[in-house]
Amino acid sequence: MPEISRVLPMLMCLTLLTSCASDKAVSSTAADPNAKSSGSIFAMDTYITVTAYGENGDAGISAAKDEISRLEKMWSVTDENSEIYAVDHAGSAEMSISDETAELIEFALDMHERTGGALDISLYPVLCAWGFTTGEYRVPDDDEIAGLLARTGVGKIKLSGNNITLPDGMEIDLGAVAKGCAGDKAAAALKESGVECALLDLGGNIQTVGETKPDGKKWKIGIRDPYGEGSVATLEIGESAVITSGGYERYFEEDGVVYKHILDPKTGRPAESGLVSATAIGKEGRYCDSLSTSLYVLGAEGAEKLWRESEDFDMVLIAEDGSFIITEGIEDSFALTVPAEMKVLKR
Amino acid sequence: MSRRSIFIIITAVIMLGAGAWSVYLMLRPAGETVIISQDGKELYRLDITREPDRTIEAEYEGRKNIIEIKDGEVYMSHADCPDHICIETGKLRPDTPIVCLPNRLVIEYENSGLDGTAR
Repeated sequence: MPEISRVLPMLMCLTLLTSCASDKAVSSTAADPNAKSSGSIFAMDTYITVTAYGENGDAGISAAKDEISRLEKMWSVTDENSEIYAVDHAGSAEMSISDETAELIEFALDMHERTGGALDISLYPVLCAWGFTTGEYRVPDDDEIAGLLARTGVGKIKLSGNNITLPDGMEIDLGAVAKGCAGDKAAAALKESGVECALLDLGGNIQTVGETKPDGKKWKIGIRDPYGEGSVATLEIGESAVITSGGYERYFEEDGVVYKHILDPKTGRPAESGLVSATAIGKEGRYCDSLSTSLYVLGAEGAEKLWRESEDFDMVLIAEDGSFIITEGIEDSFALTVPAEMKVLKR
Repeated sequence: MSRRSIFIIITAVIMLGAGAWSVYLMLRPAGETVIISQDGKELYRLDITREPDRTIEAEYEGRKNIIEIKDGEVYMSHADCPDHICIETGKLRPDTPIVCLPNRLVIEYENSGLDGTAR
């Protein structure tokens, strides 16, 4: 069989080639500029995944994970060695904090101002009373909430340079901005490692590096169905942060009433704004993180007002009746995957 | 038939089989392989379209999770943690992992049509 013995070895070589190409899920080989690497870490009270493309992927992922761990050690509200824990337990003494922590607190105070008080980093004692921090849920009575609210108030935080003073009994928690800021810094760490293309998923906070994936396509991001398990819309983005807040993330039911974890700073009770989910899309993770919480608390009208006053973000709001409100900046890149009513806000 | 030809044919069959398997791995639709991992370590890798109905238990620091596989669907039926967010997540969907934070357990599809889901 002279023919077969000549053709078969060629076929074998071909099959060998195809079998090499199938190993796409695991990690990169240095030779492939589009190779995909991924890593994950449990940090900041959530599950974080990092996907990076290109030959520097593994180094970038490792740098991003180190950065996130470093920031968690500084900003954790429960870790007794964190800067925030020290500030919260200083008993009205002045504390010196790092540049990074001071900068993030200053940013949060600024966002408090911009959102008319919807973003409030001083709510931690109230959040604890509801059990949202531990999972041991309970409904505090009106007197207890009033007493706890007296211990809150961003205006009482005295920040001057790297020195901060809180009144005794007051506690701050950077939960509404820390993950977003960690996304920014992890993205920077990826870039410093030579990664031009990556996606960070910090427990549902999406942050991308690079305007496109290696195949030249935009990043395709889903928006979670607030009433179910899948997604209700998709968004195609360049280098951006996409951050969603919704009551479905954490809630409990008692005597037939559902209590959701995003509190209205004015009442100390779960925000009842008529929205079930709010997504902010912009360049900066910490900005979008603080916005998503604020938009949810503000409700459709307040959110629209904030959007009109700002130039630097887009949003997707989902109302209790299942209808959507989106802003014109994302109109062309946004697509519903379920039938729903949708209104596009124009400037 | 010479011994050489037989050897070549057997090798070819094995190679073609491997080739076909690789092609299958590359071309199969997204969201068929479910990965169950704990603390970053992969515990199970399941082809969910072929997996028989069964129950998988996973322990972490003395706490237990029970994962149910039924009719090609995966969900968490029991978790020794206070918040039960993983159970409330319901059935596994391609774009949203089931995560039990206290027990560091993650159930997710290997591939989905999306790069990520904001949630």
